Amino acid sequence: MIFHPSILALYVASLLISFMVLYSSAYGVQILRRWDIQSGSELQLFLERKTYLISTLLTYVFGFELLSLFLYIFTVDQLSTFFVGAMCAAGTLYVNNYGYPTLILKLVNFLLAGLWLILNYADNRGYDYPLIKKKYFFLLILTPLIFAETVLQANYFLGLNPNIITSCCGSLFSVGEQGFTSEVVALPSIPMKIVFYVAMALTIASGLYFYYKNKGAYFFSCASAITLLTSLVSILSFICLYFYELPTHHCPFCILQKEYGYVGYPLYLTLLSGTISGMGVGVLMPFRNTKSLSEIVPSVQKKLTLASLILFTLFTAIVTYRTVFSNLILEGY
Amino acid sequence: MIELINIRKVFNQGKPNEFVAIHGINLLITPHQVTVFKGPSGSGKTTLLSVIGCMARPTSGRIMLSGREITSLPERFLTEIRQKTFGFIFQQLNLIKGVSALENAMLPAYPSGEKHAPLKKRAMSLFDLFDLSSKAASRVEWLSGGEAQRVTIVRALINNPSVIIADEPTAHLDSKLSREFMEIIARLKTEQKTVLIASHDPLVYESPVIDRVINVRDGNIERSA
Repeated sequence: MIFHPSILALYVASLLISFMVLYSSAYGVQILRRWDIQSGSELQLFLERKTYLISTLLTYVFGFELLSLFLYIFTVDQLSTFFVGAMCAAGTLYVNNYGYPTLILKLVNFLLAGLWLILNYADNRGYDYPLIKKKYFFLLILTPLIFAETVLQANYFLGLNPNIITSCCGSLFSVGEQGFTSEVVALPSIPMKIVFYVAMALTIASGLYFYYKNKGAYFFSCASAITLLTSLVSILSFICLYFYELPTHHCPFCILQKEYGYVGYPLYLTLLSGTISGMGVGVLMPFRNTKSLSEIVPSVQKKLTLASLILFTLFTAIVTYRTVFSNLILEGY
Repeated sequence: MIELINIRKVFNQGKPNEFVAIHGINLLITPHQVTVFKGPSGSGKTTLLSVIGCMARPTSGRIMLSGREITSLPERFLTEIRQKTFGFIFQQLNLIKGVSALENAMLPAYPSGEKHAPLKKRAMSLFDLFDLSSKAASRVEWLSGGEAQRVTIVRALINNPSVIIADEPTAHLDSKLSREFMEIIARLKTEQKTVLIASHDPLVYESPVIDRVINVRDGNIERSA
């Protein structure tokens, strides 16, 4: 199983990402300790040249980190045929204790890597490396998480035993079981719909307000993060039911399968990308008054806001379309 | 004003073939003057001009251009400075064969995205100024040595830079053409251009148009005259 092409790709990629991030962090430490833009010393000029390499390298590395979340989900979904009991990624992830922690960590790293890329993009547009120490400090926070992801992912794939009988998504995401997911799937649909649409409406409204008035960036940023959480809960609680047209099937992974037109991919992609763009607006906010970024940050923030608004609207449109036109009539569940 | 602060340039640093081309040079270059860097081959003249013109980064030290520090600038900003501030005349003419003289001269302006019509008009007025109008449509390989040299000067001026950098510009010219070249330099000086020339040609550094001669030897400045 370890020789499955996707697993090998994830292995190699995670090792490369970890190595590159470690290499970059070593220079990051040096930059945090020794960077002095006023100095014309050999070390300073060396660090200035080196930061181009690191920045370019990390752009590709984190670009792949973003992709690897979807490759991971795709892979575990494909592997479900190898395990008795597994119907989709949900069962495969449950084969050992590392599947879900890896997924959660990949999700966290996806968001953090996206935010790092936004910070790096803004920094590269300033003439005096205005965010250099901040972005390398951020990198140092991200590095152990990337390593933890590599270790967890390796443990997960190495621990895949085809003789294990796993649980199917029907039992993992069902009402009546004990645990957080059961409590989430048991949430009543109408209040959850209200929470989902109010959260999304507030986020989109605050995004539009920031886009046109240049005010409320932090609110929009926080709203984007909250919208991610409410949307994930809503997917479990009621959204996926409309795709499956079954009132009891709450699996967030089956929508990634061919039977449902792989609709899970655009759904998660729009949601996650919209969240990163929205949160990025707030991340850049403290640097609006930095001299070399005073014209750049507002422009980048506008682009991010627009991207976020489009992506969240698209996500809501897919959900709403399915909710309205599904054969399932869900009332009171 | 261009100020060089402790500029040092080392090639192949840390390797057996390490070579120190410039040893901690401090220098102030006055604007609107013609300055010649004089010295034998391998003395560091070309390296020094490359560093000043943002074509190469120093190993250590800083350069101030009109009060702005430029050596620390990220590449995207250096490209802009190279385009807008400096015009280069190389020892090898570096003209593209098979392309007209006019197209060769307009080439450095293309990245700016300027519309073709005003750009062509500007190029043609420069061709007029250098008595090259009749040769604008000619391929560069059909031009004489002097004409080709003048095309490189038009090319250096196409973005209206404030500083002209010429590296051994008379190396491949006979005496008559070299004198003609210095007449053009005199004209550029009257147009308030700052001109930096690397040369060991007496026709250049002994020319009356020169304001300052800086002797460069073994990567050091010997004296200023």
